[in-house]
Amino acid sequence: MIDILHNVVYGFGVALQPINLMYCFFGVLIGTLVGVLPGLGPAAAIALLLPTTFKVAPVSATIMLAGIYYGAMYGGSTTSILVNIPGEAASVVTCLDGYKMARKGRAGPALGIAAFGSFIAGTFAVIALTFVGPFLSNVALAFGPPEYFALMIVGITVLTYLSSGSMIKALMMAGVGLILSGVGMDTIAGKYRFTFNIQSLLDGVGVVPVAMGLFGISEVLLNLETEIRRDILATKVKNLFPSLKDWALSAWAIVRGSILGFFLGIIPGGGAVVASFASYAIEKKVSKHPEEFGEGAIQGVAGPEAANNSAAGGSFIPLLTLGIPANPVMAILLGALMIHGLQPGPLLMQNAPDLFWGVIISMYIGNAMLLVLNLPLIPLWVKVLKVPYFLLYPLILLFCLIGSYSLDNSVADVIIMLIFGILGFLMKKFRYDGAPIILALVLGQKLETSLRRSLIMSHGDFSIFISRPISLAFLIIAVLLLIIPIITQRKKLSALPEE
Amino acid sequence: MGKADKISGFFWLLFSLFVSYESYRLGLGSVHQPGPGFFFFWTGIAVAMLSVVVILRSFGTQAPEKEKEAPTGKRTATKVIFVLVALFLYALTMEWLGFLIVTLLLFIFLLGVIEKKKWWFAILVSLAVTVLAYLLFEVGLQSQLPKGFLDFLRF
Repeated sequence: MIDILHNVVYGFGVALQPINLMYCFFGVLIGTLVGVLPGLGPAAAIALLLPTTFKVAPVSATIMLAGIYYGAMYGGSTTSILVNIPGEAASVVTCLDGYKMARKGRAGPALGIAAFGSFIAGTFAVIALTFVGPFLSNVALAFGPPEYFALMIVGITVLTYLSSGSMIKALMMAGVGLILSGVGMDTIAGKYRFTFNIQSLLDGVGVVPVAMGLFGISEVLLNLETEIRRDILATKVKNLFPSLKDWALSAWAIVRGSILGFFLGIIPGGGAVVASFASYAIEKKVSKHPEEFGEGAIQGVAGPEAANNSAAGGSFIPLLTLGIPANPVMAILLGALMIHGLQPGPLLMQNAPDLFWGVIISMYIGNAMLLVLNLPLIPLWVKVLKVPYFLLYPLILLFCLIGSYSLDNSVADVIIMLIFGILGFLMKKFRYDGAPIILALVLGQKLETSLRRSLIMSHGDFSIFISRPISLAFLIIAVLLLIIPIITQRKKLSALPEE
Repeated sequence: MGKADKISGFFWLLFSLFVSYESYRLGLGSVHQPGPGFFFFWTGIAVAMLSVVVILRSFGTQAPEKEKEAPTGKRTATKVIFVLVALFLYALTMEWLGFLIVTLLLFIFLLGVIEKKKWWFAILVSLAVTVLAYLLFEVGLQSQLPKGFLDFLRF
């Protein structure tokens, strides 16, 4: 306990440095902006801004990039409520009741409860993170190659289970991502793999250009077809404070959302989108007036908004403690950390305590900043929405082009991004989900080396995965997830492709 | 999604078989000492099997007739292709022409040709964006964007 207090104080020392405060502010500001703007999500934004962080210290960079993620969870609700267009995938559910509330003249309380609920949940998640994080780091030290292998299999399986569309297709995409991760140098045997004498492939396929292409470029290409009509609610948004009755109704929704979101965030493959859908479903189930849902039930806003923020916070845990990304956004962040020369994993807490605690504490500060940013500044965000799309998408394209180039001052990365942009576009048309590719691409290297090391350890005996309890547990979960859909033929939760 | 799934399933089938073949050539090693191709060979086989399932399933589903609509209209498909070509040209010429010129050209193209705005508007906005982007990325963030043959001007 004393240990944790000591670390928290240390973390404040890092996070309160003026430069880190500044980067935190930038991160949450950009995150809110990205959340407000439809078509650009936190994954793409982090990928786009990553190159700009190269000259910056890793701690500051991570603080900023993290801020983008949980900041986007705040911003997304604004457009959902006011315009019925989700700024990003985790806010889709908020459209259902939030927009209805706005139409009934209750936009203010809806926005207010979304912001307050997000703040409470976000803070809860960070507090939980402060305690669970170190604990998990210690547990993770007991992880060997078989455990890592099994855990990553679970992560991929959960993500494919929860992705939109066919699970078979999602599994295929995970396979493609794994295959892509093999391009480049094989560290165990020291041979080049799948490079076909192409110079630029020697270093492998970077996750950032792929992410920018799959999520950024393809989104723009898709939107070229449909003009996103935006009928911005003309009503003046007054009175952002929810009434006591609103609070009474929403309080438990926020509590449930926070706890549910946190756990869904930790589980690899879960995440904010899933959490928001799950929370809505649960609120509807436990409500005494389920018929109100879809007509402006405030719990339908409070619960999911709390859940997505809590999940965002929770999803940092596997990354910071195990070095395993829980969802595609974390995968890109992992890529960012590695580019900055850090080794995410159980030893991160020991080797880079300033990063570990500084980032966690910065999230408290970030959540507070977001509360301030999101309430008074709503009229500003509404103005931003008025930027016409014909100007917006060339800017997004430009950011992508510059961003991918500046990763390594290489045109090859830009080309890779564009190729994946085409692929992403086609995939959306042919109904394939892109998220598993990103997660698998980042996990691939580690997954493959874990497998090989495990087999070397066990002298070719596959039972090593089953004889060790932790890895056995993970594998059972994975198998269950693969079998359940076949047995029950259930419709998967339709989460949108972008996280 | 009958026909589409057949096409995409077939594409992925070919892709994964190719991958498995290449992995095999890299060397599978033995189960005691897996080689560089081991993991990817089996992943390729797995993806191939899944794509066969996708193809087979597409025969099974009696897709409702409305699914016959093309995934994308002809006019927008041309728009997408034009934008893609522009982006590829940007990438391929950016080091030769330099950041300032390609960005300017790209925006003029996107605003003027694709979005059909008035020429003076397109040029004005393009200039503004190019300058702002330069200030933001080159000066502000020190990104070191390519100068192209304008290098001699030494910005």
